[in-house]
Amino acid sequence: MAIRPLRIAAYTLCSAAGDGREQTLRALRERRGGLQPNDFGPQPLSTWIGRVAGLEQQPLPRRHETWDCRNNRLAWRGLNTDGFIDAVQRARARYGAHRVAVLVGTSTSSIGASEEAYARLEPDGRYPADLRRPIVHTPHSLGDFVQHALGLTGPSMTIATACSSSAKVFAQAERFMRAGLVDAAVVGGVDSLCGSILFGFNSLELVSPELCRPCDVARRGINLGEAAGFALLERDAASGPWLIGHGESSDAHHMSTPHPEGLGARVALMDALARAGIAAADVDYINLHGTASAKNDEVEARLVAELFPADTVASSTKGWTGHTLGAAGIVEAAISLLALEHGLMPGTLNAATLDPACGPQIRRENVEGNCRRALSFSFGFGGSNCVLAFARGDAL
Amino acid sequence: MSVELPLVRIEGVGFWASRLPGWGIARAVMRDEQSAPDAARSRPTPTLLAPTERRRAPDTVAIALEVASQACAAANRKPAELSSVFASTHGDLAISDYLCATLAETPALISPVKFHNSVHNAAAGYWSIGVGSHAPYTALSAFESTFAAGLLEAATQAVCDDRPVLYVAFDIEAKGPLSTVTPSCGLLGAALVLAPCEASGGATSGAERSGAAHATRLALQVEAGADPRTDMLGTDVVSTIATTPARSAAAAAVSGNAMAACLPFFEALASERSGEVLLQLNRNAALRSRLIFP
Amino acid sequence: MAAAQSASERELAELIVTVLNLEGVAAADIDPEAPLFKTGLGLDSIDALELALEISKRYGFQLRSDDENNLRIFSSLRALTEHVAKHRVK
Repeated sequence: MAIRPLRIAAYTLCSAAGDGREQTLRALRERRGGLQPNDFGPQPLSTWIGRVAGLEQQPLPRRHETWDCRNNRLAWRGLNTDGFIDAVQRARARYGAHRVAVLVGTSTSSIGASEEAYARLEPDGRYPADLRRPIVHTPHSLGDFVQHALGLTGPSMTIATACSSSAKVFAQAERFMRAGLVDAAVVGGVDSLCGSILFGFNSLELVSPELCRPCDVARRGINLGEAAGFALLERDAASGPWLIGHGESSDAHHMSTPHPEGLGARVALMDALARAGIAAADVDYINLHGTASAKNDEVEARLVAELFPADTVASSTKGWTGHTLGAAGIVEAAISLLALEHGLMPGTLNAATLDPACGPQIRRENVEGNCRRALSFSFGFGGSNCVLAFARGDAL
Repeated sequence: MSVELPLVRIEGVGFWASRLPGWGIARAVMRDEQSAPDAARSRPTPTLLAPTERRRAPDTVAIALEVASQACAAANRKPAELSSVFASTHGDLAISDYLCATLAETPALISPVKFHNSVHNAAAGYWSIGVGSHAPYTALSAFESTFAAGLLEAATQAVCDDRPVLYVAFDIEAKGPLSTVTPSCGLLGAALVLAPCEASGGATSGAERSGAAHATRLALQVEAGADPRTDMLGTDVVSTIATTPARSAAAAAVSGNAMAACLPFFEALASERSGEVLLQLNRNAALRSRLIFP
Repeated sequence: MAAAQSASERELAELIVTVLNLEGVAAADIDPEAPLFKTGLGLDSIDALELALEISKRYGFQLRSDDENNLRIFSSLRALTEHVAKHRVK
């Protein structure tokens, strides 16, 4: 069942914690979270958010104006960070535009643009002229934009499985490459702040009125965040960390509550380890899903306590970025890759007293040390689970 | 400039539209054996869901689960054993209209049930809960190329994971101001159960799979467009792919639905004559689907 | 034999049936003293949130799910009706 590992030739992320790898690493090292009191929209809910500054003043370049909306502006910002576009262009030249896939995840794509249209309807009920652009009012807005912006022509689709979206795309890319359909893949995801997610999650009483505290005994719910992240997987890259395994499953329990025994999470985890050809004890760092919701953190903590040795380092980094929903997979994969590359395993920001369900693995403080293999957990709404396994470039 | 996937078997088919409520009738209309009924049926009842989920299920879930059940039954496969791919161009357009309208007036009064049904993976989630499956699912969109993209993903999964895969494609009617930019009429759902040809495709006995020799096989080929747009500065968004048109009377019964692009594929299946269907995979690539009948 | 419903209990029963789309349940048949959640009508936490929203829209006051009296307030149709009667603004 083991898969052929794939190099991650380039990766990047933009979130409330910073633009790009270096800023993110510094924020992690210096324990500076990016969350702020909510100021998004005309009647902001009383909560905290992870907001990426400046998007309002950064419309897409004229040649991409058909796709202009907050979500795609954030995508563009991500693509232009850490030289990611240049890395993609090199892959395009090397393999051919049609041999590079674009597989990206999101939960709400650019529904924010539709929300805006409804707030500014013409007297006849039509959208205002500036928003009469069909491509931004549909889920594939993101995938279509990214494919167009990168000049790629291989298979492209937008995955929308809530919080597991931009983790699942890694598995999908690995399969496409294994099947010989493409030689490289741009994977990642973007989600942006909008009324639907803020008021929607609020209606389910999942949103915390205060700064979120993942894994904390007194946690009161999530903080929503926006982010963009991308990775370039290549068949023949010379360097970079490795994707060594992936596992996916469903909870089959409830649309908005995780399986109480973490059955689905366990299946995804075991499959990821099997595809990676490693055991739980071989893992140095786990980036938890750790949303700070009552149910998720407890189920996850118990799973980790049961299956991993005490010296495995595990943490949730949503205290830095917020819960970036469809972008959570890629953001936290990127943070896991930073951990591998820099030997910095972040702790759990904002957690004061850990929930009793947490075992010794879950850390509040950062840990510096030899980090050779990492796992990233993404357990989504609707019971969609994905676990990714990564190895440092020299640690196969 | 094309690459082919290993062959997969089509083990079962599901289909539902208000005037073509089932694969039996859809196939007959496509084969010109009867005309589509005038009367439109209202949405099917998702009987496989427990009462709590059933009463919450929106149209997208009702349609998707109906065709998924049909395909699994036709394939004689236990639903819980299949991983699945759910594809919809626009997702739940009725809920999107509701969310946008409510946010414009009274944002604090969003219905929790409607919000939790608004995720693109709602149908997939309800399916996995209804059949009690821990197998993975995915939910995707590729705008006007959604059907082909989902078909490619499902076949790739079947081949790579060496297991049968359920593929479900659906779109519903657009409501409200949203319908002026993302039009879609009626309800349409279609499903396939695909299995790899080479290996056993999961824990099944030889006796069960004896029908495999008589199954329809599918060869998918990804073709780069004859004129690939490689210029990053281009703003032209017109498609260059000449897709196979729908030819049967069934086309009128589903026209205007965002997933109507699936019809030529199902017409070819209904014809039971080996042949090819060209579907758009994106603006610069096609999915050549070759159906091989026994 | 189920207890009889008062007029306001019937009104709330109808709200419950409509808002939660309880197919095959006649509002008049909901026993006002029977549990609403888990057993009885078998409603769950999402239903509670949906009901709380509709009640706040219809009767003009907020029902929050972290109210420590919620177990009691939501324990039966009768309890819920009494709570609404006490707090309604509209």
